[in-house]
Amino acid sequence: MGSYAFARRRTAEAVVRSPEASELVLAIVKPIGILNQMVLDRSPRLDLVFHALAHPARRAIIRQLTLGERNLSELAAPLKMTFPAATKHVRMLEGAKLVRRRVSGRQQLCRLNALPLKEAMLWTEQFRQYWEARFEVLDSLLDEMKAEEQAGARRP
Amino acid sequence: MNPKTIAAKDLQISTPTDTTIVLTRTFDAPPRLMWQAMFTPDKMTRWMLPPPGWTLTSCECDPRVGGALALAWKSAEEDPAMTLRGVFTEVVLHERIVHTETMALGSGQVIGSLVEVHEFAERGSATTMRITQTYASKEARDGALASGMDQGMEACYQQLDTVLAQAL
Repeated sequence: MGSYAFARRRTAEAVVRSPEASELVLAIVKPIGILNQMVLDRSPRLDLVFHALAHPARRAIIRQLTLGERNLSELAAPLKMTFPAATKHVRMLEGAKLVRRRVSGRQQLCRLNALPLKEAMLWTEQFRQYWEARFEVLDSLLDEMKAEEQAGARRP
Repeated sequence: MNPKTIAAKDLQISTPTDTTIVLTRTFDAPPRLMWQAMFTPDKMTRWMLPPPGWTLTSCECDPRVGGALALAWKSAEEDPAMTLRGVFTEVVLHERIVHTETMALGSGQVIGSLVEVHEFAERGSATTMRITQTYASKEARDGALASGMDQGMEACYQQLDTVLAQAL
């Protein structure tokens, strides 16, 4: 991963100033793009969101919250873990700004903040479009292959 | 198109761990034809659209244990501009296949490696394909997810503005 480590040590500005490095980064960043120079400077805030989404329990919490505000017990109930363990996940989601908590009487009510999710989704949008385009062509190819097979089967 | 057809063609992308990306998609074809389309070079070149401005110049694929996977692309400036080299490590015909791959620039400089698993589940006359990519690090995985963002942050923030305007 030599080129990646090299590119990582530079800021975007420094890379542009150096012709060799700029060429290297451009070559890396070209559409297949495993690496992307914007990612190298990406905010730690988005890192928190991706990390928050990486755990199935936290995804389950988010899914519940898309249905509306929930208190901590409601969020913890389906999770098959201790209450403190569940609240730890909620706190991590709060740290990523995905969940906001408010007190109402004796309840702690949690609400989903979708903005970080939208931002995270934008980062993956190009990746999605790249694969969707290819799979659409694959759909057509498969139709063709099926038709060829059927035509072949009909011949005596 | 009825809703059921639309749902089946939905590409699902998830990141179940810090280093993986999982793609799931259903196709109207049996596993046997999916396998052919995915691992026969003359079929692969039909649907593996290269990035804009790039051309796929060679494609080898031997989907057997120890078999090689090799692709190369050229751009207007360079030939090859990028190469992919890999080997198949596990094969269950029409069901599951695992390979490792390494991407490198034309100069030979390695960009990254990953392990990829393709799984095919028969669903009547259709097949659900699941691709699991495991990257060497969280950073490499995040970089792959964010690939294509080289238009710059400006374009991203414009998109974000549009999304927010619709939400309000």
